[in-house]
Amino acid sequence: MKFRNIKIAAVSRLSLVLLVVILTACLPGPVSQPGNRNITVYAFSIMKEALERDIYPSFAAKWKREHGEEVTFSSSYAGSETVTNQIIQGAPADIAILSIEMDVKRMVAAGHVKEDWRAAPQLGIINKTAFVILVRPGNPHGIKDFRDLAKPGIKLIHPDPVSSGGAQWSILSIYGAELIRSESETGEADSEKAVETLRAIWANVISTPGSAREARTQFETGYGDALITYELEGILMKQAGTPVEMIVPPATIMSEHPAVVIERGLTPSKREVAYAFRNYLWSEEAQKAFVRGNFRSVTSETLNRSNPALAEIEQPFDIRYFGGWERAYHDVIERIFGGKVKSSR
Amino acid sequence: MSANLSSVRHTRGYDIVKPLSITALLIFMLPLVLLPLSSIFIFGFSSGLQSFWAALTTPDAIFALKLSFVTSFWATVFNLVFGLFAAYVLARYSFWGRNAIIVLISIPTAIPTAVAGFALLLLWGPYGLLGRFLPADTQIMFTPYAIILANIFVTFPLAFGVIMPVLETMNRSLEEASATMGATRWQTFWHVTLPSLRGAIVGGALLTFARSVGEFGSTILVSGNLSGMTQTAPLYIFAKFNEGQVEAANAVAVVLAVFSFVIFSILFFARDWLETE
Repeated sequence: MKFRNIKIAAVSRLSLVLLVVILTACLPGPVSQPGNRNITVYAFSIMKEALERDIYPSFAAKWKREHGEEVTFSSSYAGSETVTNQIIQGAPADIAILSIEMDVKRMVAAGHVKEDWRAAPQLGIINKTAFVILVRPGNPHGIKDFRDLAKPGIKLIHPDPVSSGGAQWSILSIYGAELIRSESETGEADSEKAVETLRAIWANVISTPGSAREARTQFETGYGDALITYELEGILMKQAGTPVEMIVPPATIMSEHPAVVIERGLTPSKREVAYAFRNYLWSEEAQKAFVRGNFRSVTSETLNRSNPALAEIEQPFDIRYFGGWERAYHDVIERIFGGKVKSSR
Repeated sequence: MSANLSSVRHTRGYDIVKPLSITALLIFMLPLVLLPLSSIFIFGFSSGLQSFWAALTTPDAIFALKLSFVTSFWATVFNLVFGLFAAYVLARYSFWGRNAIIVLISIPTAIPTAVAGFALLLLWGPYGLLGRFLPADTQIMFTPYAIILANIFVTFPLAFGVIMPVLETMNRSLEEASATMGATRWQTFWHVTLPSLRGAIVGGALLTFARSVGEFGSTILVSGNLSGMTQTAPLYIFAKFNEGQVEAANAVAVVLAVFSFVIFSILFFARDWLETE
């Protein structure tokens, strides 16, 4: 008995020592050792495919050709507002690619991004995409425009504007489209009516996921009748064989996505490659890659025509229709959506 | 231990309540636990063993599992040592404020894990109470160490909770005998008290470890969620699910489910074995 005890104790002690040795040996070391030439990218949810399939490898190849060094990338994806909050809390990002400009402004205010970020090409915007409606095969509810989503009984999935930039674009798109319609019908933009439509649509929302990508996953699992999202998501879903139909509203917004370098904690050796990468995003090679990934180029409309999957839009509008993001955010997202729509539920 | 279970008899002859109640138990468990679990396995293997294996052996998936296990291991080591120490102090000494300390230790059980993560950020984050005094290149948040801290916080009471009751109800005559024979306090602890806590220690360790491996709410806030760097297995599953790669999510989920099955089997059998030794 005594002898057995000692033996067991010895064996268990030995195995414990072994376990400690094994586990210590693999104490969290990253998959790709981040040296000076590692770029950490925090991006809003739908950037993933274009970045990882196309942009990262081609930039790494270019850098290798020109500097003879390896560049590796680490990335994290979430809703645009979530990404911004993470960075403001100190997440180790070198580059942020966001869905909305307001998030850049928040990072500028927190001292993470240079105030002159708009001095970059294209005012800091790297690509754009349209907003569309996805419905079930055969379009059983006969949806042709945003306002059709206001019909009673429609179950709509809409990302949460608190965490998702795409959700804010979607709200701006609904509201703007209604203004444009009333303007073309009566010669005057009827904001009362537009708020009414927005309110009726919001009453049909059954779920507000954290990001556009989460909303898509929910829709894919069979939940809901319709989803408002980036055109790119609709194209990707169709390419993956998901049974959905894409409805392009006659008037819809073109969302514009900024990329910025996060200055806080940026070492000089990293700055060089971080800026090189950001500037690369406007190169012809990268813009072509975005179009291949079903975004729209900001530098050349000819490029956009080369991708037949990109829809023809009758009356596209952008944030300038509202007088810029500052005013759009204040007037539409905060005052109208926050004050009149969301609170009325 | 189980010798007396059937000694209470309400009926003579065949007890129909026994098979009925067992069936009822299983029927309750079916939609609540068993079916959700099996759907992970069904979807995990739905496109064949090969794609399951391919999904599981991507560098990011392997890293996520490894990171989860390593960070949980260190959280377990810490909480075990601490739990043992705290249980010993609180079971052996009675003093003013003892109950307050027990309550304090137990608090993390009831705190939402997201709050735990947020609290750590507010303390250690680059703008946190203490974090602001750390030099920029030795930040703790958004590194694997932050994950260990979060795991320690959320599993803090577990090992203590298992060890404390055993220590409190332990027969102290052996310890007293040891003391009368001239053993030092340390010798008594090492040779008498500790061996009789074997079962509780193993149990507490496994519980802490299992709970840490599954931790999500606090980790997503403090880790930075960078794949291949600070993304644990539960974060990986969540990210893959959000990206619509349900298969990749399921592959790792299957591993965690099997792992938790193994852990609790060990917990169940080894404890009996250790305690009867």
